[in-house]
Amino acid sequence: MRMKLDRRTFLAGSSALAILPYTRFAMAAGARTNPIIAVDADIGNLDPGNRVGTTEGNIIRAVCQTLVRFEPGKTSWTNDAAKEIKQISDTEFDFELNPGQMFTGGFGEMTADDVKFTYDRYINGDKNGKKLAYADDLEALKSVEVTGKYTGKLVLKHPSAALWLIGICDASGAILSKKAAEQLGDKIATTLIGSGPMVLKEWRPKEQFVLAANPDYKGAYKAHFDEITGKIIPEHKTSFLSYQAKELDFTAFDADQLATAKGLPDTKVIDIPGIDYTWIGINVVKGDLADIKVRQAIRWAIDVDAIIQGAYSGATSRAKTLLAPGLLGNWADAPLYTRDVAKAQALLAETGKTGLTFTFTCLNDATSLAVAQIAQANLAEVGITLTINAMDSGAYWALGAGDASKDLELTLIPYTSKFDPSFQTQWFLASQIGLWNWQRWNSPEFDKLHQEGLETLDKAKREAIYVNMQKLLDESASCIWITHGRNFFVDAAWLKPMFLPNGKDWQFEFFDKA
Amino acid sequence: MTRSQRTVAFIASRLASMVLTIAGATLLLFLMVRLVPGDFASVMLGPRATPELRAQIIHDMGLDRGMLEQLWLFASRAVTGNFGEDVVSHRPILDIVLDVIPNTLALAFSALTLALVVGIPIGVIAALKPGSWLDSGLALLSISFITTPTLVVSVILFLIFAIGLHWLPVAGAGDPGDVMDRLQHLILPSVALALGWVGYISRLVRAALLDTLAELHVRTLRAYGVSEYRIVGLYALKLALVPVVSILGIGLGDLIGSSVVVEIIFARSGIGSLIFNSIAQRNYPVVQACVVFIVAFYIVANLVVDMINALLDPRIAAGRG
Repeated sequence: MRMKLDRRTFLAGSSALAILPYTRFAMAAGARTNPIIAVDADIGNLDPGNRVGTTEGNIIRAVCQTLVRFEPGKTSWTNDAAKEIKQISDTEFDFELNPGQMFTGGFGEMTADDVKFTYDRYINGDKNGKKLAYADDLEALKSVEVTGKYTGKLVLKHPSAALWLIGICDASGAILSKKAAEQLGDKIATTLIGSGPMVLKEWRPKEQFVLAANPDYKGAYKAHFDEITGKIIPEHKTSFLSYQAKELDFTAFDADQLATAKGLPDTKVIDIPGIDYTWIGINVVKGDLADIKVRQAIRWAIDVDAIIQGAYSGATSRAKTLLAPGLLGNWADAPLYTRDVAKAQALLAETGKTGLTFTFTCLNDATSLAVAQIAQANLAEVGITLTINAMDSGAYWALGAGDASKDLELTLIPYTSKFDPSFQTQWFLASQIGLWNWQRWNSPEFDKLHQEGLETLDKAKREAIYVNMQKLLDESASCIWITHGRNFFVDAAWLKPMFLPNGKDWQFEFFDKA
Repeated sequence: MTRSQRTVAFIASRLASMVLTIAGATLLLFLMVRLVPGDFASVMLGPRATPELRAQIIHDMGLDRGMLEQLWLFASRAVTGNFGEDVVSHRPILDIVLDVIPNTLALAFSALTLALVVGIPIGVIAALKPGSWLDSGLALLSISFITTPTLVVSVILFLIFAIGLHWLPVAGAGDPGDVMDRLQHLILPSVALALGWVGYISRLVRAALLDTLAELHVRTLRAYGVSEYRIVGLYALKLALVPVVSILGIGLGDLIGSSVVVEIIFARSGIGSLIFNSIAQRNYPVVQACVVFIVAFYIVANLVVDMINALLDPRIAAGRG
């Protein structure tokens, strides 16, 4: 057949070619069986002890086995690589591994030697003796003894409830293959060899990673999807738009998009209260702020409810204390300081100080700036002038180095947390002055209780210890608690994602069809 | 000196100035990034940073050495193409940069092509009807394109073509093994990036074409009864495109520089988003490597344009242009 190429044929042909990409995309969006999700940060380092963020933590927990694994959506745990873990004393645990747990890449069967190798890195540092970034997660661990091919003993320095929750169950406890780690050297930062339910099938830096079900996995937590693709999209606004364009099946989104999210078809909106903590820290040794009445006046003057409405679009709840509801040690009866201008003015009058001027240092993101501006307006009403000093994260977090924070006055600090209260309380210790205790608050009693909290196993006693610690913080008037945050997600109706209760740690191995 | 000797001398002098420019820009940036407060260890480790860990990272990055030593180390390695190793991932920095460059080049070239394909006809049409309502309308359109921020264009494109019509994807650069997927992912960012240049090129072509059409030889052609379309298509447009060719080098460099906004909005990996994130993290070695590549590309693009111009007009090579 001969085709005549005239102007009309050319135009028709080129139009068809131009439409081709669109039709193809629309068709592809319709029929997906494996989820495509958004993650807001790329993989930085896949070495469990030197990981950088939650993306790696989530991948590591899916790809590797831990002695015990978090149950779906809970902070309770059940045996994973371990067939049995038996407590011998407060500081000794015998463990026995399941036989036949094979590392991917032909690196053989997991043995007690691999467990010892993994944990020894936290105790002694890496092959060059360098301390691992997450070494403190297993701080309580003194040694690991190998007693057989599959059996061994964990010996602790002191009793520790936190060791399991923030160490052994979490990504830090991911068991590495000794053979693989020695063979790969520094490449363990980019090559993850595990024996868990999934494998890291592909990683295109800055673009995406693909987790696939591990065909050789013999354990109890088989992955429900053949593949999960994680697209790296740092901006929530972009990932939310991508979700609306049906490119994604799951993404986090910002609180100000909540109304839009609720109106989307075939979509579930997931709302998980956070356990992180954002607070206004007050330097208790700086100038007029050393007077507790000034600090108390500031606490009465700042309208936290208005901050929640104005800076967080009312989409998160107000924090009353350090430890979030749901965490062990949450102080449910903590006082709520609802704005009282008269009380603030009366306290300032008692001090006899007038014309107070302070600096409010915060990150330069929109939320932090909104918080700062509301605080600025609130304090102006009681006669305190606040100067806002907004910094990018590079400059802001550098204030934790070499006592650079000593001249700070008021600071807005957002911290992420872990499930054990000791993780949250550690930053308020006297030993953190000059590092991360920007309030420069020094309480020997608080420090003593922190140590007791670490070494106490009785749950009720621990609870009392952490409540007492928060009472001491409250008396100091060094912290104005803002929020524990909230995590919002949209997901396609056919998908059932799974999170640990903080909303940040995702359990890819338990993602399933709804 | 013969013409070929002059051309060789011209190219040699440009190459020498290119090396000097790259060295100067890198030195300037080397000093500037170190003036910015904050350090990589603090950003990376955040509230987990112990003094020992911070010191370790600073040591690994070589930031505890003297400035001159750091500069010498960087320069001596860079000339061999070794930009060191990223302290987080232990990946060679050259690999990190080379991973993303193809995406940025594809974006810049497609945007520039789009700008030329759309901008030149708009400029020609406007020049053929100067002072008419069509000319005024196209002027308004062109100026709107120039003045509308890329961010706004991007959002509008999102809303219409990705969310409203579901025709095109929003985020990423597509599957490297799938050409159609790559093309789909390229369309919206290219349009967003090209739009300002469409306006710019159309105004430039209009002005140059009007100047050319007013010249004596065009009047002569008209006097001989040559049709207006023939005059424009065969004679005047060639001359009018000379300034357009001249700005292509700048345009390509500018597009690579401004790709940062588009790459972040469309979550495309590229040198723009890489440099942005690296600056935010104070990851100096990656920033330096990115800048060397951007400056080198900018200069090579301009060199190529200069050489084309020199070939077209020997007076330029002779230094008389």
